[in-house]
Amino acid sequence: MKVARRAFLQFTAGAIGGTLLTPVPWKLADDSAIWSQNWSWRPSPERGEVTQVPSICTFCEAGCGIRARLVEKKRAILIEGNPSHPVNRGGICPLGSAGLQFLYAPYRVSRPLKQTRKRGDVSGFQAVSWEDALKEIGGKLNRMRSEGRPHSLAAIISQQPSSVSELWSQFFKAFGSPNLFRMPDHADSLSLASSLVTGRAAPPALALEKASYVLSFGAGLLEDRSSFSRNQTAYAEWRQEGSHKLIQVESRCSMTAAKADKWIAVAPGTEAALALALAHVMVKEKAYDPEFMSGSVFGFEDWTDSQGKSRKGFKSHVLAECAPEQVSEITGLDTTTIRELARDFIIHKNALVVWGSGASHRPNNVYHDLAFMALNLLKGNFKADGLMTLQPEIPLAPLPEVQLDAHARVGLGKMRLDLAQAGRPPLTGNAIYPFLDAVVKGGAYPIDMLWVHECNPAHSLPENQLFESALMKINTLVSFSSYMDETAQMADWILPAPTALERYDDVVGLPGSPYAYYAVSAPILPAPEGTRNTGDVVLNLARGLGGDVQGSLPWKDYQAFLKFRVEGLAASARGAVADNAEVNLGQLKSGDALKLKISGSDALWKKLVSGACWYDAPEQPLKDLATVSGKVELALQSLEALGVHSDEDKIFLPHFAPLPPSGSDKDFPLQLVAYETQSLSNQYLPNPPFLTKLLPDTLLKGDDLLVEVHPRTAQPLGLTEGDRARIKTPQGELQVRVHLTAGARPGAVYVAQGLGHKAYDEFIKGKGVNVNAVTEVQIDPVTGLGTTWFTRAQLVRA
Amino acid sequence: MKEEIRASSGWSSLGILFFLAGFAAAMIFGWVIFPELLYSQKTQPVNFSHALADHQGSGCEDCHSFREDGTFTGIPRLAKCAECHESPMTESPDEKVLVEEYIQKTREIPWLVYAYQPDNVFFAHAPHKAKGIECVQCHRDVSNESKNPPYRENRLTGYSKSTMKMDACEKCHAEQGASNNCEICHK
Repeated sequence: MKVARRAFLQFTAGAIGGTLLTPVPWKLADDSAIWSQNWSWRPSPERGEVTQVPSICTFCEAGCGIRARLVEKKRAILIEGNPSHPVNRGGICPLGSAGLQFLYAPYRVSRPLKQTRKRGDVSGFQAVSWEDALKEIGGKLNRMRSEGRPHSLAAIISQQPSSVSELWSQFFKAFGSPNLFRMPDHADSLSLASSLVTGRAAPPALALEKASYVLSFGAGLLEDRSSFSRNQTAYAEWRQEGSHKLIQVESRCSMTAAKADKWIAVAPGTEAALALALAHVMVKEKAYDPEFMSGSVFGFEDWTDSQGKSRKGFKSHVLAECAPEQVSEITGLDTTTIRELARDFIIHKNALVVWGSGASHRPNNVYHDLAFMALNLLKGNFKADGLMTLQPEIPLAPLPEVQLDAHARVGLGKMRLDLAQAGRPPLTGNAIYPFLDAVVKGGAYPIDMLWVHECNPAHSLPENQLFESALMKINTLVSFSSYMDETAQMADWILPAPTALERYDDVVGLPGSPYAYYAVSAPILPAPEGTRNTGDVVLNLARGLGGDVQGSLPWKDYQAFLKFRVEGLAASARGAVADNAEVNLGQLKSGDALKLKISGSDALWKKLVSGACWYDAPEQPLKDLATVSGKVELALQSLEALGVHSDEDKIFLPHFAPLPPSGSDKDFPLQLVAYETQSLSNQYLPNPPFLTKLLPDTLLKGDDLLVEVHPRTAQPLGLTEGDRARIKTPQGELQVRVHLTAGARPGAVYVAQGLGHKAYDEFIKGKGVNVNAVTEVQIDPVTGLGTTWFTRAQLVRA
Repeated sequence: MKEEIRASSGWSSLGILFFLAGFAAAMIFGWVIFPELLYSQKTQPVNFSHALADHQGSGCEDCHSFREDGTFTGIPRLAKCAECHESPMTESPDEKVLVEEYIQKTREIPWLVYAYQPDNVFFAHAPHKAKGIECVQCHRDVSNESKNPPYRENRLTGYSKSTMKMDACEKCHAEQGASNNCEICHK
């Protein structure tokens, strides 16, 4: 026994010694590390031939060229920027590079679904065939027309500038409904502002690329997704050249403010007041462009209205009411800061004013848009080859005249629902809020069926509960979403579209860009069988309705429709095609001799679907002015013609016109401001998990959203970094945590937009809270557009 | 008493024998049995003879070619085989499998690839070839090979036994003066 034990120990010692001299321990240690590379749940692309397909990204409106990497031409494994595209030159935004997560998302809808239970009950969705779905919906449409109420069809579509919106307009006109709306966008108020000043409804376009001094009033130059690549490219060039200056006027230290040469923290929503104070200094010191103001502008000096009443001009108005001393309290800036900023703006040549409301998809108060435009006018930027012009038209083939049948005439005889209300505003814009309001309150007539295309109003519309309330009054909601988003969840029918990567679409112009731009986005992969391009569905429904509706929409499919649009482009023989990044779009001048070297629309189409883009030089700003005076109007004579009568002279002038938010200062002492960041998608698309990974712990920690508060605001409330708190506004309440930062203005609470989803998958749902639920929208009385600047709020420890 | 203690704690000649037995057993296990256990053996779905004159062509790149964009095709597709073997050309049983099981059923051959690198490695053949590196510096010389060697797969990692490891890459890079920065291979 004794020997056996000893022998065993001696044998073991030998075995251990021997093992150490064999590969066993070393190889096992190495291999078990490598083993972790091949855990079955780790995604791994299949092996095979890798090819690249160029296309244009349509996840937002920035029009970037992309390249997709495919394995065996069937599995997409990467989206990257196309280095030979002149807009983004190989660059790509985080949303675009995470785009494949939409393609392979578990929350995609891959077959038409019909709700068979209560609305909102996802388990009640039943798959139906396209034929049955279109037959049933087509039947309802036919009934609406034969019963004399085609106007009870309404739609809310995406704000992205694509030809599909023209198709929608054509369909709605031929069908006989005036109730077609887009999701709100800054372009809504900008184009109305332009129409007042120039008589043309094209939004102003700003030549960032040519400016050497940029004074930005709240424009999210580095956050705003809608002109992301253009802004980023311009910013990179400014910084490389070194002599450029960027001044950011904004209440919060945004990314743009942080990267600017100077950040001027004004009170939220008072940027326009500051702009007018700068105008005051320019006028007082005669530091404006006198030749332009006297030769090309009406209303700078005092004027006489059509009734013969003498009225103050812009000059008198700013001199009397916008002195730095008068504006100082409103903006929270001392007079020295205002005067210094004004002098800085005056002495710099090539100085451009840009503006926004921190978010690209929010209309502004039209008077405020006008105030910023006025500052550019004073600077002489609206002259030939100046820094401001109007967004050019793209010479696509116009759609054929709609043939109105008897049913359509009945429907179009009705006013658009929001306009049929008492107290309609003088200007008619994309007034989605008054429309929804009229639906809720039971307007002139009921809305029977609502179509929602490529947008998610149930989540991403500020004051989204208005959409939900409106839905209660609408019998049928049809969603054309590719995903099971909040709006699709509420739908009675989902007719899923392929994702932006699997279909033909186009990009008609870039928001705010002086040069003309057109691109066709070709699919990188075929559409899944159960999905159909919404353009095709609209054409199919038109065919089903027959007669003049079909006659007004004669295209075989959406691709044929796009080809038809491109025919116009080819026939115009304008512009040129760029298939390399050598073309410097930002430096184009009106009158540049460009040559469209491609003849024939087939050849142009082929070039466009291979990732090239069409472009043209900017237009002369003073071309085709259609105002009463024939000049650029700072005194808005057209408002008179639209029935605005007021003894107040400033009603006809750009002025500071804050719309008071509801609630009292006593109950709600703080100002809640929603902001946009690069790493949060806040419109139709949810935030893909890759993007959520980019959010810092000071914005999203676990599932908790952190709001930005200044330490001085937090201290009296007993809040310290990371504390849980409740935000209360007149609209509702949110549970958040606080992040203390000197980048927040004292007295304000900043909440990121784009979180708080109640749909999609476990990686999106329940992350943070949705600021739209507590945001208050104020209706601009002149345009009817819903503006947001701040909401009164209260913050309490939770 | 003292002697007893010495005897019980010391090494007798028998003890050394036990120790050596344990040592030898471990060496045999570690060097002979363990490698056999660690790797499974798989045979290729079709035996391809590189040695056949008709298969040799004018060099490796006749079949293992580069695409226009510079990427490497690796093992040829079935279409390449079908160029000649639409129907059997010989009595060879290997060819019979090729024709009947794959070409006639238009099913790609699931070749077991000896040299695949892991997903986290970016390897491009083109720059190595441009540098003048011969295929056989990394791959086995197949010019006289009439029977494919068995494919040996590491049961733990799932990789082929002949997968080139990072130290080999680094050694050659260092010798050739090529960069050994992480992002050169791990992109």
